[in-house]
Amino acid sequence: MDRRSFTQGLSALALVSSASLSSSALQTAAGAAAAPAAADDTRAARQIAHTTINTPLRLGLIGAGSRGQELVRSFLRVPGVRITATADVYPPRFEQLDKVCGYQVARHADYRALLDRKDLDVIVIATPLGLHAEHVLAALKSGRPVYGEKTMAYTIAQAREIVAAVAASKQVFQVGHQYRYSPWIRAALARVQAGEIGDVTHVLAYWNRNNSWRRPVPDPSLERLINWRLYHKWSLGLIAELGSHHMDIANWTMGSYPVAVQASGSICYYRDGRETDDNVQVILSYPGGRRMVFTSMTDNAKQGDQLWLYGTKGSLNLTLQDATFFYEPRKVTAVKEEKGDKKQEPVVTSASYSPANEMPYRGPGKSVEVKDPEDPTTAATRAFVYCVRTGERPIADEHVGLGSALAVVSANEARVAKREVEISAV
Amino acid sequence: MGFVNMRAFLWRRLLAGAVLLFGAATLTAQSAKSPETLYTESRPAMGTVFTIECYMPDADSADRVMDAAFEEISRLEALLSNYQSSSELSRISREAGDSPVVTDPETFRFLTRSLYWSEHSHGAFDITVGPLLRAWGFKARNGHVPTQQEQKGLRDQVGWEKVQLDPAAHTVRFTTGNAMELDPGSIGKGFAVDSVVALLRENGVHAAFISAGGSTLYGLGTPPDKAGWPVEIPDPRTPGSVATTLLLHDMSLSTGACTEKFFVQNGHRYCHIFDPRTLMPVEGMLQSSVIAPSATDSDALSTVVFVLPPDQSKEVLRGLQDTQAILFLSVPGASNCVVIGASKSICDDHTPITREGVRP
Ligand SMILES: NC(=O)c1ccc[n+]([C@@H]2O[C@H](COP(=O)([O-])OP(=O)(O)OC[C@H]3O[C@@H](n4cnc5c(N)ncnc54)[C@H](O)[C@@H]3O)[C@@H](O)[C@H]2O)c1
Repeated sequence: MDRRSFTQGLSALALVSSASLSSSALQTAAGAAAAPAAADDTRAARQIAHTTINTPLRLGLIGAGSRGQELVRSFLRVPGVRITATADVYPPRFEQLDKVCGYQVARHADYRALLDRKDLDVIVIATPLGLHAEHVLAALKSGRPVYGEKTMAYTIAQAREIVAAVAASKQVFQVGHQYRYSPWIRAALARVQAGEIGDVTHVLAYWNRNNSWRRPVPDPSLERLINWRLYHKWSLGLIAELGSHHMDIANWTMGSYPVAVQASGSICYYRDGRETDDNVQVILSYPGGRRMVFTSMTDNAKQGDQLWLYGTKGSLNLTLQDATFFYEPRKVTAVKEEKGDKKQEPVVTSASYSPANEMPYRGPGKSVEVKDPEDPTTAATRAFVYCVRTGERPIADEHVGLGSALAVVSANEARVAKREVEISAV
Repeated sequence: MGFVNMRAFLWRRLLAGAVLLFGAATLTAQSAKSPETLYTESRPAMGTVFTIECYMPDADSADRVMDAAFEEISRLEALLSNYQSSSELSRISREAGDSPVVTDPETFRFLTRSLYWSEHSHGAFDITVGPLLRAWGFKARNGHVPTQQEQKGLRDQVGWEKVQLDPAAHTVRFTTGNAMELDPGSIGKGFAVDSVVALLRENGVHAAFISAGGSTLYGLGTPPDKAGWPVEIPDPRTPGSVATTLLLHDMSLSTGACTEKFFVQNGHRYCHIFDPRTLMPVEGMLQSSVIAPSATDSDALSTVVFVLPPDQSKEVLRGLQDTQAILFLSVPGASNCVVIGASKSICDDHTPITREGVRP
């Protein structure tokens, strides 16, 4: 399939499923003249470009936990950014954050007090999933651009509410799907979209670990605050915490939101009072019968964190650090027939079966080289600041956030109901 | 115990601590008073294997705290690795030639300390040696002497004074106008060990031992009823013998040696530790060990005293709190064991290594 027919294929799918869609898919559906993937790539390149513009930007952080601190490290690599205030319900976070910043950050126990401040230009939200919508909606209402961690929301209704609120507020909103900004993933997907591995019909993704996913808790009364991932109240478990990134990349690859999902999970090893599963399996269906499979286990780390995109002409492996192409040996080539009455060589029959044909390929692949293979979160935070300064729409916008929220929340619903769940894009 | 564990295990018993205490006791006995058990875990990181031992009340809490500690190490590896092109240090290496790069306070602190030791060692310590190690084949593991032409070109690519830090703006800039290759190899492991020590303390751990591949060690607190974590420094003049046993108590020890990374060409042995001022591998030094309260500092200083002549090393270490060094030189005739900041008797005190690392 050449690049043009691939793009057409996308727009047809988008229209059929009306699966609403990342900004690029929306442009496709609307029949935008420019090839949307290429347009997105130009926009992404512009947003993540190295900058020396250092107009002051005062940042307020809600949720100064592990991710909040990591985001701050990245934001502090963007010229002009200062962390002005933070809100958290767990006091030790304040001192940790001061250490990361190297200066005192104003402290609030209640996020509403932070939003009441007049000296903040942007709000960053890195609280547990169950609180995202409340915090994002309030932050948007306060009239400021928002960087909200993934998964965008705990329920689909909340995710849609955020989409509507972003539109109504006309604020810049970026969701924490930083792999949209990963230079090697962008470069690799651009090649996939140009047809390098043919039609991609399957995405297989793993995120396997060998640890309990528990954090040390200084006092038992803090268990649910610190180990919130293990309890339903705020968490959708491994599907959300690990799978949302992969599902986002699947949406991106397929150029569509998923249309249905099946899922399962269990607690097979860590019977320690947790509520969320220690292993999950998800099958997402995309238009045209295409599939994404995500599995996660927490008692064997052999596969680590990786995605495979399988196409008719090859495969692409994506990891946290690199991208590698592999090509299918199967290839049909046209035979040039000889003119005249030259005799065709007879074929000799045989009955051999070669197991080698069924063996997995164990040789090397071709890795994707990029000029600036920097950390995706560093690139994503710089891109957000660029959008705030210019008013440009982020690559990982609310539609991207909705897409992975639809996948995650519906997958969790399927896991609980033990049946296939249809995903409606509207 | 796997190969890796075994190696780390032996290394600890081969290397050092701060309280220069003799007749160190074994580690095996558990205090009757303390209900805690010693747990250990090893994981590969930063091109070596990190091992953490700590006393914890139960396996679950040990598991959690170990996991948090190793996660911290891999976070720092992703920040500082020159082998990961996505690291912050690699980003700076690529971009700071074009224009000043704003970096985060932690990376800035790392660079500030690195340049501090460069300045205080008159350039003996230098994290800009990346191109040097590359040209001599130490990165690709195919050691060879570079051509004269190649060596000349290195002068423009190496030199700590080409790195400019602006503390007010938190920016890094290379005066070369080109990309440079910052190499954390002689300070990054110590930086990671210090971070792990802080994390363990925050988590209430009061007795732990951290080893970054045996070359940078830290003894946090003491094992129950002991004065410190015993470490033996091997005597490279007599392979298989111990120069001394030290006890580390809230103290770090780093060792540099050319016994593992070197190559031989035309009968000459070339060491992977360079004198950045001459751009040549260091000659005449067998092994250096530095004891200091901070692992970042002992790591950097073990290179400083490896590169500098002992007299100059004494100058650098003068006035540094609780900092000592033990050097073994291969200069024929001259005194080939030098102690800075502690009793010279260590030099003449060597004994055979025993399995338990205990002096007879
Ligand atoms: N994009 C990524 O790669 C990535 C990586 C890690 C985490 N995350 C996301 O970031 C979010 C936070 O994860 P984490 O690992 O930092 O968790 P965390 O528990 O370390 O941090 C959450 C913080 O929110 C605070 N908090 C809880 N309730 C609050 C409230 N009502 N008001 C203010 N603060 C409150 C907690 O005290 C804690 O400090 C999650 O949604 C997670 O999925 C994203």
